[in-house]
Amino acid sequence: MSTVLLAIMVVPLAGAITAWLLPSRAGAVATVASGTATFGLCLALVPAVAADGGTSAVAALGGWLRADSLSMVFLIATAFLYALTAVFAVGYVAADPSATRLYSRRLYAGLNLFAWAMAMAPVVNNLGLLWVAIEVTTVVSALLVAMEGTDAAIEAAWKYILLASLGLGLSLLATAVIYHAGSYSLGQSYDLSYSQLLAASSRFPAGTVRLAYLLAVLGFGTKVGLFPVHTWLPDAHSEAPTPVSALLSGSLLATSFYAILRYYQVTQRVGAGSFARDVLAGFGVATLLLGALYLASQRDLKRLLAYSSIEHMGIIAIGVSFASPLAIAGALLHVLAHAAAKGTSFFGAGSVVRKLRTKDLERARGAAGLLPWSGPMLVAGMLGLSGMPPFGTFRSELSIVAGGLSGGPQANTAEEAIAAVLVVLATAGFLGLSWHLTRAVLSPGPTSEGERGEASKMIVVAMALGLAGLVVLGAHPPAQLSQLFQGAAGELGVRR
Amino acid sequence: MLLAPAAVQALQVAVVLLLSPVLSGAIARGEARLQGRRGPRVLQPYYDIIKLFGKETLAPEGASWFFLAAPVVAFTSFLMVPLLIPVLTNFPLPLGYMGDILGGGLILALGGFSVALAAADTRSPYAQLGSSRATTFGALIEPSVLFVVFAVALITTTDLPYAMAGVDRSSLAQAIRPAHLFAAVAFFLVVLSDTGRIPVETHTSTLELGMIDEARTFEHSGPALALLKWGSAVKQMVLYVILADVFAAPWGLAGSRQLGPVLLAVPILLGKALGVGAIFAVVDNSFSKLRLYKITEFMTGAFALSAVAVLVLYLGGG
Amino acid sequence: MLRYLVAAVPTPPSTFAGVTEALAVLVLLLVFVMLREALLRSQVRLYALQSLAVSALAGVLAASQHAAELYVLAGLSFVLKVVVVPAVVLHLLGEAEVDLAGSHRFGVATMVLVGVVASVFGFLAIGDVHLNPAGPGGLPVPALSAATATVLVSFVLVMFRADVVSQVVGFFSMENGVSVASLVLAARMPLILEVSFLFDLLVAALAFGVIMRAHHRRAASLSTETLDQLRG
Repeated sequence: MSTVLLAIMVVPLAGAITAWLLPSRAGAVATVASGTATFGLCLALVPAVAADGGTSAVAALGGWLRADSLSMVFLIATAFLYALTAVFAVGYVAADPSATRLYSRRLYAGLNLFAWAMAMAPVVNNLGLLWVAIEVTTVVSALLVAMEGTDAAIEAAWKYILLASLGLGLSLLATAVIYHAGSYSLGQSYDLSYSQLLAASSRFPAGTVRLAYLLAVLGFGTKVGLFPVHTWLPDAHSEAPTPVSALLSGSLLATSFYAILRYYQVTQRVGAGSFARDVLAGFGVATLLLGALYLASQRDLKRLLAYSSIEHMGIIAIGVSFASPLAIAGALLHVLAHAAAKGTSFFGAGSVVRKLRTKDLERARGAAGLLPWSGPMLVAGMLGLSGMPPFGTFRSELSIVAGGLSGGPQANTAEEAIAAVLVVLATAGFLGLSWHLTRAVLSPGPTSEGERGEASKMIVVAMALGLAGLVVLGAHPPAQLSQLFQGAAGELGVRR
Repeated sequence: MLLAPAAVQALQVAVVLLLSPVLSGAIARGEARLQGRRGPRVLQPYYDIIKLFGKETLAPEGASWFFLAAPVVAFTSFLMVPLLIPVLTNFPLPLGYMGDILGGGLILALGGFSVALAAADTRSPYAQLGSSRATTFGALIEPSVLFVVFAVALITTTDLPYAMAGVDRSSLAQAIRPAHLFAAVAFFLVVLSDTGRIPVETHTSTLELGMIDEARTFEHSGPALALLKWGSAVKQMVLYVILADVFAAPWGLAGSRQLGPVLLAVPILLGKALGVGAIFAVVDNSFSKLRLYKITEFMTGAFALSAVAVLVLYLGGG
Repeated sequence: MLRYLVAAVPTPPSTFAGVTEALAVLVLLLVFVMLREALLRSQVRLYALQSLAVSALAGVLAASQHAAELYVLAGLSFVLKVVVVPAVVLHLLGEAEVDLAGSHRFGVATMVLVGVVASVFGFLAIGDVHLNPAGPGGLPVPALSAATATVLVSFVLVMFRADVVSQVVGFFSMENGVSVASLVLAARMPLILEVSFLFDLLVAALAFGVIMRAHHRRAASLSTETLDQLRG
């Protein structure tokens, strides 16, 4: 099994190098191959980690890499979206009349490198290397955001890299503070591996760990898109090339949240668990509120989806802040379901953009008429984002709300209030999304826009696969997934 | 031979009075040398003062009695400060308890204020320009002065200049502690601003766009002007002595009232003042004058430095 | 906090503590100078000077602890942050001849005063966090106050200056502040982690430089005044 883990580390990197060196057709094939291979390897890894109720782990490279159930959830989300985006990117680039060969080579190489960095972050067994991995994702994705070369793209890339780097500087400070907290028990010179850290963390000084956690939430939260450090997110996600936007929204936000969860683990073991949950709840509610409110006033299709991502990150943060296993399972399922739904929606947006050549919601009309497959699938993706059955997001949001209302070990009025607020705001988000979307997709458009037909078959394939995954998660999630969730909940200190 | 305390005190004032023109002249010549010129003779300020004493005094129409009294007030107040600060001895002399370092600062400010008031009295545009500028910038540098005094006073738990110097002399660690170093640099910037040096003002020219101190004395002539020039030289030397003897290098002062050590302290004092003057000459030749509206940047910079000195003292453990 | 205001500090710190505190405060003072500096090459040189102070701090710590790995860290930090990163940034901006006078959103005096307030906040905040005074193997705790103040004033620099070079230099000086803080808190972190942090900074500098160059090519200026189209 450790070879499988090692292979996950190597395959996307090999894909990146291949795509860089070889012409763009070979690069496209290499990207799809490495995407599917990575996803397959992740699925192969699941049974080993999900054994024993999710408490076992797979290690490689002498302990430098480690995949436990918490990492597996995020790794699956990343790998699934990586595979789908690879397929989509091939179709997207093929349908673009103005894409040069240099552009497509750079895009494929960048996508692979980006996915590699995002796959590394959950499996490194070291808090310091986790920071390095997230920083690498920032750098690569900022260069990808600037790829289009327009004024708006450069502005978005500048804001993104500046704000994200400043935030990551704060989280580097958090790493130093937590190292200091550990040095009282573990000696002056120890590595920040999780096993060592988590075993000894009950003896750390609580005040120092709380400071580190707060700095980590602020710092990594910049990359997650938590309020008030989210301002880069709508710009970056809307100005990037659509495959990059899909990965940014679907995987990168979640991976950065994973980093916060590792700090949460240490804080919870020190005994400051309620402090940690309160912080997450506060940020989560503010983020959800911001996302839901801004959704209504968007004019740009991809910006709309970006604010929806902000909203969903808020929901995940709230889910983790409820101290019940049901809510944690819901939050983790939401990570997976959101990746699938956001990916599908961005793919649909890309299809609309290719066909109608505009991102403006006011001008994009009648997409359903022109796009016989991707139009309705886009609608389905948006319904998925709003938490409709039978999609996975319905199941996850229901679990989160139920977890908040049922109260876990002890009933908590604040949690119940937050759960109610979540329902209200999610409904507001649904209204915002559907208003814009139904107008753009379902209202009759001018018939002179072009002939009826898809821009690219690969886009349709990618969207169909994404929707299929979403439905599977909603209707009948695999049993091993719930074992993973159980194990992850145990790691986060919440037991049945 | 043991000198009477009053004699030592009078000697302190006399030394400052008589040696300050030498200091001015030496700095002017040193600056000229750095620029590649020969420069004026070192004793030139004496000749200027003597020449001015022989000229007649003119007063503009409508100026009141204060216009003629202000130079005397300023000169006297500048001369009172050497009574309070360690000039020749490292122990306080009888009148040394008359005021602490804040009192010394107050008296110096009184001198400057009376000159500014007299300039405003003349109804001449240049003089009033200089007077208003001097008062404004003087007010802007005050927070830095106060913070520096606080920093040093809190380090040494006293604000008597003699005692401050004593604490600094007590150990090397005391002299190089960070708060003390930063306070000394901040005070250096304060002295730079108070004596009208680059980058605040060009010491030697009368460019009305940037004149501050020179403009105040525009309308005076004859003995009054002589007193003003001498007074500003005395003020410069007093500030240099405070910088050297209280902050930077409080060594070489006489330990007793014996004639020998006291007389030895005089050339040591002149040497230290010339050393400080050399630093100012180099600074003068290295930077350019700031535009008038950018002088606030300089003032805030000095304030930031002195604030950091206080922060380091209180919350930075040093 | 009031207890600080009542008692003075008559006993001076040891020479080691004094030197390290002076160097840490020098790092802070250089950020103040950056607030004023208008020319892009001078900004980058100030950053090089600041990194020199940080490397010197690491060197002093290495000398006092006789730790070989800290010498390596000091040397590597010197090479990367004083030589390579400024060279990279200046090279990528080589074609920009325009200097940046006039990119201050507020006057310099206002910015410096805001910076002073931020430093006071930083110093006071660290005073309330109780860290073990004999920090395990690191610099004395007072340097942490200066480091926190450096981070806060760097944020002021990024917020109040409207040109890309100042913002990048602000980010780098924030990293310097975090480096000083980690010298206090985590001085004996395994070398591999510290080295990866440094190389990561280099990669980030490259990315910043590439995007800055792209912006300069499109907008023919280094100001961020044009970067305000995306709103809402």
